Amino acid sequence: MKQELIHQPAASACASCPAHNLANLQKLGVDMANWDYVVALAGNPNTGKSTVFNAITGLRQHTGNWPGKTVGRAEGGFVYADRRYKIVDLPGTYSLLATSLDEEIARDFILFGQPDVTVVVVDATRLERNLNLALQVLEITDRVVICLNLMDEARRHGLIVDDRRLARDLGVPVVPTVARSREGLPELLQAIDDVATGRTVCKPYRLRNESPAIKHALKILIPQIEQVFPGLPNARWVALRLLDGDERIIEAVRTGELGDLTRGAEAEAEQDLVLRLEAAS
Amino acid sequence: MSVSASTLRGGPPPSHPPTPEDILATANALRWEIGADFHEQLMEDIYANAARIASRAVTRPTDKPRFDLERSIDRIVTHRIWGFPIMVLLFMLVFWLTIEGANYPSEFLSSVLLGTVYPWLKAVSGQIGVPWWLDGLLIDGMYLATAWVVSVMLPPMAIFFPLFTLLEDLGYLPRLAFNLDNIFKRSGAHGRQALSMMMGFGCNAAGVISTRIIDSPRERLIAIITNNFALCNGRWPTQILIASIFIGALAPAYLAGLVSALAVVGIALLGVLLTFLVSAFLSRTWLRGEVSTFSLELPPYRPPRILQTLYTSLIDRTIFVLWRAVVFAAPAGAVIWLIANVHLGGVTIAEHIIHFLDPVGVLIGLNGVILLAYVVAIPANEIVIPTVLMLTVLVLGVNNVGAGAGVMFELDSAAATKELLVAGGWTLLTAVNLMLFSLIHNPCSTTIFTIYKETGSRKWTAVAALLPLGLGFAVTFFVAQVWRLLAGA
Amino acid sequence: MYDPLLALLIGLAVLAVAAWLLWPQKGLLHRWQRARQYSARVMQEDALKHIHRAERGGYRATVQSVAGDLQITVDDAARLLAEMEQAGLISRTDGDIHLTAEGRESALHIIRAHRLWERYLADETGFAEEEWHRQAEQLEHTLLPTEADALSARLGNPTHDPHGDPIPTAEGKLVAHGGVPILALEEGMSARVVHLEDEPEVVYAQLVAEGIAPGQRVQLLEKTPQRVRFWCDGNEHVLAPALAANISVVPLLPSQAPEPPQPGESLADLKIGEEGEVVRISRACRGSERRRLMDLGILPGARIRPVFSSPAGDPVAYLVRDTLIALRSEQAKMIGVRRIPVPEEQPV
Repeated sequence: MKQELIHQPAASACASCPAHNLANLQKLGVDMANWDYVVALAGNPNTGKSTVFNAITGLRQHTGNWPGKTVGRAEGGFVYADRRYKIVDLPGTYSLLATSLDEEIARDFILFGQPDVTVVVVDATRLERNLNLALQVLEITDRVVICLNLMDEARRHGLIVDDRRLARDLGVPVVPTVARSREGLPELLQAIDDVATGRTVCKPYRLRNESPAIKHALKILIPQIEQVFPGLPNARWVALRLLDGDERIIEAVRTGELGDLTRGAEAEAEQDLVLRLEAAS
Repeated sequence: MSVSASTLRGGPPPSHPPTPEDILATANALRWEIGADFHEQLMEDIYANAARIASRAVTRPTDKPRFDLERSIDRIVTHRIWGFPIMVLLFMLVFWLTIEGANYPSEFLSSVLLGTVYPWLKAVSGQIGVPWWLDGLLIDGMYLATAWVVSVMLPPMAIFFPLFTLLEDLGYLPRLAFNLDNIFKRSGAHGRQALSMMMGFGCNAAGVISTRIIDSPRERLIAIITNNFALCNGRWPTQILIASIFIGALAPAYLAGLVSALAVVGIALLGVLLTFLVSAFLSRTWLRGEVSTFSLELPPYRPPRILQTLYTSLIDRTIFVLWRAVVFAAPAGAVIWLIANVHLGGVTIAEHIIHFLDPVGVLIGLNGVILLAYVVAIPANEIVIPTVLMLTVLVLGVNNVGAGAGVMFELDSAAATKELLVAGGWTLLTAVNLMLFSLIHNPCSTTIFTIYKETGSRKWTAVAALLPLGLGFAVTFFVAQVWRLLAGA
Repeated sequence: MYDPLLALLIGLAVLAVAAWLLWPQKGLLHRWQRARQYSARVMQEDALKHIHRAERGGYRATVQSVAGDLQITVDDAARLLAEMEQAGLISRTDGDIHLTAEGRESALHIIRAHRLWERYLADETGFAEEEWHRQAEQLEHTLLPTEADALSARLGNPTHDPHGDPIPTAEGKLVAHGGVPILALEEGMSARVVHLEDEPEVVYAQLVAEGIAPGQRVQLLEKTPQRVRFWCDGNEHVLAPALAANISVVPLLPSQAPEPPQPGESLADLKIGEEGEVVRISRACRGSERRRLMDLGILPGARIRPVFSSPAGDPVAYLVRDTLIALRSEQAKMIGVRRIPVPEEQPV
């Protein structure tokens, strides 16, 4: 499975350097002083996202049994192969189309924070509905690991979920887990580490089959966006958001904030972090 | 739909490199072309993709299992005939466990905090020579009020909340909301309000927080504002005490227990009725403009994780609510002590206020002592009766009962309590109206604060506090007048 | 001691007076507040709107028509128009009233504010459809241009109001909806509803009650001087021509035409154990309610199956995309489905 995912690493100077956007992360209130990489945890409500979070971090984060309201953003950390990971639990949402505050928070973090890895926790028994969110995340970022959780329930219902096939279709690592009993967690951490350090390069599935009107609009809009923000990893998604009238994205285009997210800016952020780390040690 | 945008249709590219503003202008022009249902087309596209990928990855069992356990449970707990009896039985069990189970720890806590620690504190402060007013303010006032609230409030909550969470984790509560939705729908509310209402029987502050599960703004506000009509844990003891010494006493001895129990249940049911009436009123008037949606997911039944449940319900609910109550109880204890001990012109502040409030109190079938007790005991309904007793002693000037000015107390025997209250001018009408007022008055300050936290709105907080208060005054007023008319006739 | 009977009577009287004063929507206090809002500025803005409508509709705005629209006397209208001319909002040449550039800008701002408010009321509040217009009529006067922009941003920069009218852009561009009255269609032709005229209110309420909304596909079945019969959103409607004239449509090419009219079935028609595929969600289901359904995966193409109902028969639990979701009957009625035949049970 790995063979298929690994493509020739990009010609970038440092494939294993962190990719996150330090300045924006700080703006989002994440303290990255002692961490090498940042991982975002996304997922639908009721998929055991908090269980995954607690299992990874060893914390007892009780996000509460009251869904539908983000009280605060949970953060934790773990060390894997001597690399220090910060993990941020995003609010559970069905979608990232920013129609509610929770969705906006999750979306902004993935877009502007540019986490090194975004783990999407997916309920194996409700794959179709959960993929709705996963596909939207894949539109925004290509550094994704799918955590196929609740595999025990799927087995109990007699469902056979082919994680390899799913990984091939989505173009990102897919790790089956049972977070409750910690089944599959070592593999999950390994996959996170591989994506963060660039050992696995994802080639994410991008939506297709749009209607003619949308296709036509995209054909005009995407080249313009790419011309203004060369190296933007998700021009197509930005175009769709603009067509949907998403004020936050319009604002990011207007102020040029979107330019910070291009590949060039990433390298600068890397440089910045390397310097800081060197100064710290 | 002709937007003047020939460049959009593959015309020559603009001569200068585009700017961010150009992008926005292009996007704007295109938006007029793609039509208003773009957002939905997008959602449909995403789901179509998701469905295709999912169908490739998932193999479903070919032979349908003969027996689907989950559906069978669902059919039973939502059954036309069995659904409601199962629900009623389960909740009677939960309440019985709570009330019975809370007795022992409550007695234990009270004997430790009030029976042992309190005299010890008094002794220590006496030995090290703390001035009497500081001793009174801190120990008789703040400590005593806090200890009282903790010992009465903690045990029932520590039993009720885990049981409730257990039912929730099992997946039963969403089915309960499903069963009851039809009834709540009639008053413009959400089926999940049944859950926040039941939580309110434990504690209104926790009930208000639990309205978070209602994802529709209008119905959530309704649930928050009406939660106070669920007779909370802090008010049950008041109801039971008053019912048994005044109403139970009307019946022959062998029926006394039953009659007073029926009176208390009647009050609780009146609360449920008011919940529906006020919900209907709110949804048709003030809250008409709030967004209303309905969705209720019925999650799969999952075996509960007992330890986790105990942990989260203790931390999330019990400790949280208790902490808020303590924060409010301590200052209230200080106030209670002060008004009973600071003298103005030879008379305590409390007596001044009681004298002032008395005409209003009498008009609505209560008295000044009760009204003052409700004012100063706003942090927690638990301390209303101790405060009433203390103030009654203060007003009557008896010396052989109680523990001194500003020191709350309860009497061991119901007969002694009745004797004291009757001496304070209580009649059957006072008792009935106190029971009504205890149900229908402003929420305690912990709940009011929680409502403010949850709604973030002063307006709705004020409505939630003043609406039941006004209603309480109106109800007791009319009951009192009709009662007196009939009694006089 | 006082007389309880007297107290009772006084109490009842106080209650009655309080209700009369404070009752929401109908109380004196509320009425008084509403009346106070109707200031001189509001009248000017309403007059601007009237003249703008007249210019676009190709009829003449006169002192009389302004007076009629604003329900004021002709003298007051003349005074109002004189003030507006002085302020440079309108110009008059032999009785004809025209907007100046400045006046047009103001008029478009008011129209923008009005339609944004209607969008807002439709999407973000729970007010009933018949109330949007009336509320927007009041709210439109309270919005500064910058505030209108903020409202537009918050709503996701909508292009159309809920009646299908285009919202003027911040730059003051107004794109016509480009529709024709449904009466202009030939029998058998298909079209898409682009606009419902929201005035007069009575007529609009009737169209809403029929369940007609912008975005729906229609097909004209029969047109006589007495009645117009058409198929729309899975249902057949019969309206008087005067009513139907308030529906504007854009004709569709035969290739875009919807599948031939079929008996419109909604989710509520499915019995326990039957299965259907969602084909449409009625336009009457809007705003957060619509978004919520979509979040839950209830979209055209989704397979859905009622599994069991609550003791009262409503709500019903549906299985959609492997998730059990309870919907109330009024929601189920808004979801159009196509029945999927249940495979024959294998004889055991």
